[in-house]
Amino acid sequence: MRRSGNSGGRIGPSLQKSWDRRAAANFIAGGCGSGLAILSSANALWSGNLEPSAFAAAAVLIALGLLFVWFEIGRPWRFLHVFFHPQTSWMTREAALAPPLLVALAATALSANRAAAAASALLALAFLATQARILRAARGIPAWREPLIQPLILSTGLAEGAGAALLFFAFAPVSERLFLSVLALAAVALRQFAWRFYCRRLESRGAPKGALAALQAIDKPVLWAATLAPFLFLLATFAFPLFAAPFAVTAGVSAIFGGVLIKGVIVTRAAFNQGFALPDLPGLAGTGGGASTRPGRS
Amino acid sequence: MTAPPAKATLKLPSYCYQCVAGPDLLQVRVEEGTAVAVEPNFCASEIHPGAGRVCVKAYGLVQKTYNPHRILSPMKRTNPKKGRGEDPGFQPISWEEALSLVAEKLNAVRASGLLDASGYPKVAASFGGGGTPQSYMGTFPAFLAAWGPVDMGFGSGQGVKCTHSEHLYGEFWHRAFTVSADTPSCRYIIEVGCNIEASGGVVGVKRHADARARGLKRVQIEPHLSVTGASSAEWVPIRPKTDAAFLYALIHVLLHEEPRGSLDLAFLRERTASPYLVGAHGYYLRDPSSEKPLIWDEKRGEAAAYDTPGIKPALEGSYRARAVEIGPDGERLDEGELLGETAFEKLLAHMAPYTPEWASRICDVPAQTIRRLAGEFLEAASVGESIEIDGERLPLRPVAITLGKTVNNGWGGFECCWARTVAASLVGALEVPGGILGTTVRLNRPMSGRIESVKPGPDGFMDYPFNPTDREHWSPRPNIRNAYRTLVPLASDGPWSQALGPTHFAWMFLDGTPQGLPEVTFPEVWFLYRTNPAISFWDTQSLSEKMARFPFVVAFAYTRDESNHMADILLPECTDLEGLQLIRIGGTKYIEQFWEAEGFALRQPVIEARGEARDFTDIATELARRTGLIEDYNRAINRGVAAGLRLKGENYDYSLAPEKAHSCEEIWDAICRAASAELSEGAESEGLSWWREHGFRTRPFPRLEWYLYPALVRQGLRFELPYEERLYRIGRELAQRLHERGMTWWDKQLAEYQALPAWRDFPALWEKSVVAAGGKPEDFPFWLVTTRSMQYAWGANAGSELMREAAANIAGHGGVVINARAAARLGIAEGDLVEVRTPRRATQGRAVLREGIRPDTLLMVGQFGHWATPFARDLEVPSLNSLVPMSIDLTDATGSGADLVRVGLSRLRSRR
Amino acid sequence: MTRWVMVADLERCVGCQTCTAACKEENATPPGVQWRRVLDMETGEYPDVRRIFLPVGCMHCDEPPCMDVCPSTATRQRADGIVTIDYDLCIGCGYCIVSCPYDARFRTDRARFAYGGRPNEAERKRFDERRLGVATKCNFCVERLDAGIAKGLSPGLDPEASPVCVNSCIASALYFGDIDDPQSGVWVLLSQKNHFRLHEELGTGPRLYYLWGSP
Repeated sequence: MRRSGNSGGRIGPSLQKSWDRRAAANFIAGGCGSGLAILSSANALWSGNLEPSAFAAAAVLIALGLLFVWFEIGRPWRFLHVFFHPQTSWMTREAALAPPLLVALAATALSANRAAAAASALLALAFLATQARILRAARGIPAWREPLIQPLILSTGLAEGAGAALLFFAFAPVSERLFLSVLALAAVALRQFAWRFYCRRLESRGAPKGALAALQAIDKPVLWAATLAPFLFLLATFAFPLFAAPFAVTAGVSAIFGGVLIKGVIVTRAAFNQGFALPDLPGLAGTGGGASTRPGRS
Repeated sequence: MTAPPAKATLKLPSYCYQCVAGPDLLQVRVEEGTAVAVEPNFCASEIHPGAGRVCVKAYGLVQKTYNPHRILSPMKRTNPKKGRGEDPGFQPISWEEALSLVAEKLNAVRASGLLDASGYPKVAASFGGGGTPQSYMGTFPAFLAAWGPVDMGFGSGQGVKCTHSEHLYGEFWHRAFTVSADTPSCRYIIEVGCNIEASGGVVGVKRHADARARGLKRVQIEPHLSVTGASSAEWVPIRPKTDAAFLYALIHVLLHEEPRGSLDLAFLRERTASPYLVGAHGYYLRDPSSEKPLIWDEKRGEAAAYDTPGIKPALEGSYRARAVEIGPDGERLDEGELLGETAFEKLLAHMAPYTPEWASRICDVPAQTIRRLAGEFLEAASVGESIEIDGERLPLRPVAITLGKTVNNGWGGFECCWARTVAASLVGALEVPGGILGTTVRLNRPMSGRIESVKPGPDGFMDYPFNPTDREHWSPRPNIRNAYRTLVPLASDGPWSQALGPTHFAWMFLDGTPQGLPEVTFPEVWFLYRTNPAISFWDTQSLSEKMARFPFVVAFAYTRDESNHMADILLPECTDLEGLQLIRIGGTKYIEQFWEAEGFALRQPVIEARGEARDFTDIATELARRTGLIEDYNRAINRGVAAGLRLKGENYDYSLAPEKAHSCEEIWDAICRAASAELSEGAESEGLSWWREHGFRTRPFPRLEWYLYPALVRQGLRFELPYEERLYRIGRELAQRLHERGMTWWDKQLAEYQALPAWRDFPALWEKSVVAAGGKPEDFPFWLVTTRSMQYAWGANAGSELMREAAANIAGHGGVVINARAAARLGIAEGDLVEVRTPRRATQGRAVLREGIRPDTLLMVGQFGHWATPFARDLEVPSLNSLVPMSIDLTDATGSGADLVRVGLSRLRSRR
Repeated sequence: MTRWVMVADLERCVGCQTCTAACKEENATPPGVQWRRVLDMETGEYPDVRRIFLPVGCMHCDEPPCMDVCPSTATRQRADGIVTIDYDLCIGCGYCIVSCPYDARFRTDRARFAYGGRPNEAERKRFDERRLGVATKCNFCVERLDAGIAKGLSPGLDPEASPVCVNSCIASALYFGDIDDPQSGVWVLLSQKNHFRLHEELGTGPRLYYLWGSP
């Protein structure tokens, strides 16, 4: 049955349908993977514990994310065209960073070389930054084009990466996990701050009500499951060494979950366009005095 | 019919006349034999008042042509049982078989007599409204004319979906089958429910946009903010069916609050019946010998016949005169020295109680708003101004009140039309530049010459072809089932009268004929074309059930639909872009269609007919041949029945040889030649091939002929306003005729015949009908109204995907529009499924919440509720038509009903 | 320098959607894809309500966000300001769609026709496989424009060289022309009447101007 009963076309903000879960998966997997690469490198450089499998996992995550995007594009066999516009397109830049990043990650995984790890970390950071800029440049979606999306995407990438890295060091002695734990605590805290500022800014800027509602709906889960849970479980690894491993795993998973939640919602459910708004039109014939209108926006 | 050769890309001229606001002249782009796009015909931009542009509906014609749901071969019903739940089992048959079946049936009817035992025609035919199907049915009208009596009174919405009171009273008062503002010159319009931006077509939209740009102010009085309200300067929400109260208060202000001298007193004196003296019994005082109505001559201080030269008629006051007062059936009610009041004096007294404060309580429009609008109206009327048109100086009165459909039909319609026309006459804005104009005649003759139809009648007024009500001539035996000739004197007795009678009576009386009328019977053969009464009329469920009892139905079918679901034979005819026909264009026609050119336009096949579709002319010719009517048929064509154009004129003769069956091209070639000759007074004779290339041809039409005023001045005639003595008399006579035969079921309607119509509580009539149907008024607190969809109206477009998509951009299409706050009170959110119900019927639809609608009003756009039409049946769109009952009580004296109903509303389930 | 712009007079537009239908037919867009459409907007609360019809579509922005984000360079801006899409370059990533503040871009992955999956004769004739899986939008009827200019015609004045929506508008509410030409109709209109553009605050420089009232 065709649905009828319309209010006159799309006027107020409507949810974009061009980027679905596949695009969200790229932001999640790519962000988590690049975060994992950065955190694993930092850990390796700081503590000397270079875990090759973590770099391999980061490569797999990033590649998977890109594969998801490949599934989403309308003309997948033209994928090479994605490289045509490095001058301004952050999507081109993201794509252009992927091959060297994957090579660096593979090299690190195979060689366990700290220089390779450092290169991986730098490339991963750039990759993560392009992801943030991709959203920032999407001018049609108020929840994306908000500049504070950048610290949020960066911090959540780091938090997810820290969470993922914790999984690789869950069974390591406390001393080997200490630095990583501190980084994870910092990243998760950073993310919570970025999240709060991001949400508050959107509210004050008159974002679509639908977007605000979607964000509001996960505000508590973000606080509890994505921030407090990793915090508490990480602290618990120190308080209850006997259960350190399961606690570390739980902390890691919840930190990753936070990223999945935030990015999943931002890319799919909060991705309202801004709809159409009219300025004040005093004297428009047929309208008497003319108050402005922007349906569906706070 | 052969289409042009399949060259690479062609642009072929044609027309779209899917609605009365046409025709639009267009071009079809044809690529290698396939029509791909419709474009405006800018060659017509000089002569077409819409600058040659084309309505949104026309852009659906390509899709219409290639609609995969089209019926492309003749079909025969195989399931003898008919009904909504029955599969008709249509099977393709050959044209030979189809035509044989139809001809056999027709010949059997002919053999046993054309009328049945009740005196009704055994053959009936129903076409869509406004005469638009006639622009697509080729020479079929000539076949019907050759046939003899045909009942064309089974309506598909005629009378209840039109501006019915305007059609009848409008023609009576100022040859105004439809009334329009003289938009090109108008400066101020009060539109009461008139949705001109949706119903005025390309010309209306263009003219109103131009008028707004030059400063026209339009005030929209209606219960919901229509597309017209959107582009008006002001929206005044009014309670449904109280429009007469608003208009009465407007008149009250003009008569009792504004200085008398600000009115157009000269117009009232010279061009209306205002000075006529009215006697104690309510009839004019007449000169005892000549029986002419008397007026009081202020110059000589004595009464004189209305047409005495050199007198100065008194507008106000009471005067004594030697006179006679003559009532119905010629009865002399009084004679001698009689006291008479001027009609204007009567009007003053009559309108005195209708103050803005009084109206405000009824119609929910603030009294100060009414006062302000009356003041603006009067000021804009610029009484005293004049303008030169075609070398003649005419009054310029750039103000108009226009009325919408539901304001204009059913109870209250008469009062609104009367008030609107009286208001115009008070400022002299009737049939003069800038004022209100009648744009066409359908009851008076000649149909193509409105000005020529002005002929002197009794008492100094225009003549009018009333159905007689005197003892000798009144007919108790209706010629068709809806009994218009017996019941509705104003409906007259011309070709259009059948569809202007109470067309729902034909349906209603099938289940019981009221006393005094011959028993209403089912027609033996029923033709259907471009009409879907099962959707477009009222009480659609009952109507469908009755339709299922028609014994033999022949439907010229585009796709399957709810009406041809009951057909026995489906005949596919060439649709808009495949058929051949020449029509008249320009001059003055419906609504805003008054041009400064007149002529003809050709519709031509731009592609080969699809499937086995046949040109309607070929079908008509073949039916005429098979029923032995070919000579009468050809003679009818020669008389001009098909194209409104005689094939023989003073300087030319392209008559068809009567004894022979001619091909479609031969017939239209002859008609084209006659058209060329008519336009050139015999000098030219271009035939079909010229018209196919050029598409249209016109000659100038004088703007002066937009206005009736000069014709009245020339003939010394008056508008029959404000006092309706003749209508009053006719009503009394009709009452006597009916009562003489024991017919009392029309008494409520007879009360409408008043000399000065009084306000009655019209909304209460609908509340009473709720009680009559077994409901409690408080359970049905909403008015359900409908509004025109420009994208869908008239064109059988419900199955068009393109129209659905375009229309979906306009709020309300496909749902139930509810005031947002009223909805919130009932817990209804946007998109919720709601039920709208009357005591007897219910329908469902999606809630569309808007601010631009009164909290006591619901709106359903257009006409839907399809269950058989492909594509449309999947739309889940509710329809007002399924809820509105057919009832004598809700039928007014002209035989029409109003398109609204009291309903209850509740939420069924939330948005999926 | 020529810079094509479109002007919509809100005092003339009545929301009839003739432009919508004409555009759909001319450009053979599939169901649901409307390069040109007219919004039906309400402001205020009952009874103080206004209803405004607003024609929208690609704004051919001075600074098109869609062009900057496009990774394939399929979206480009011509010297005359018209923003075009090269269907052979576009990868259909949808990035331009989410970057357009005017909801003007579409992507159709599978062939869709008015009545289901099978095209009718006209649709078959007009079907362009290159438009599947890529971004599409209003291009100011650029082919008509170029062909018209090549014939010496004036866009905005000669229908043959003008966008179909402008030709079709029964209210004469849509105008097209060169904003850099002080002789052009659009220049004159913009100098005579109040005007605004949508979402000006975003700095995209949209080139669909809306007229209302006199200054």
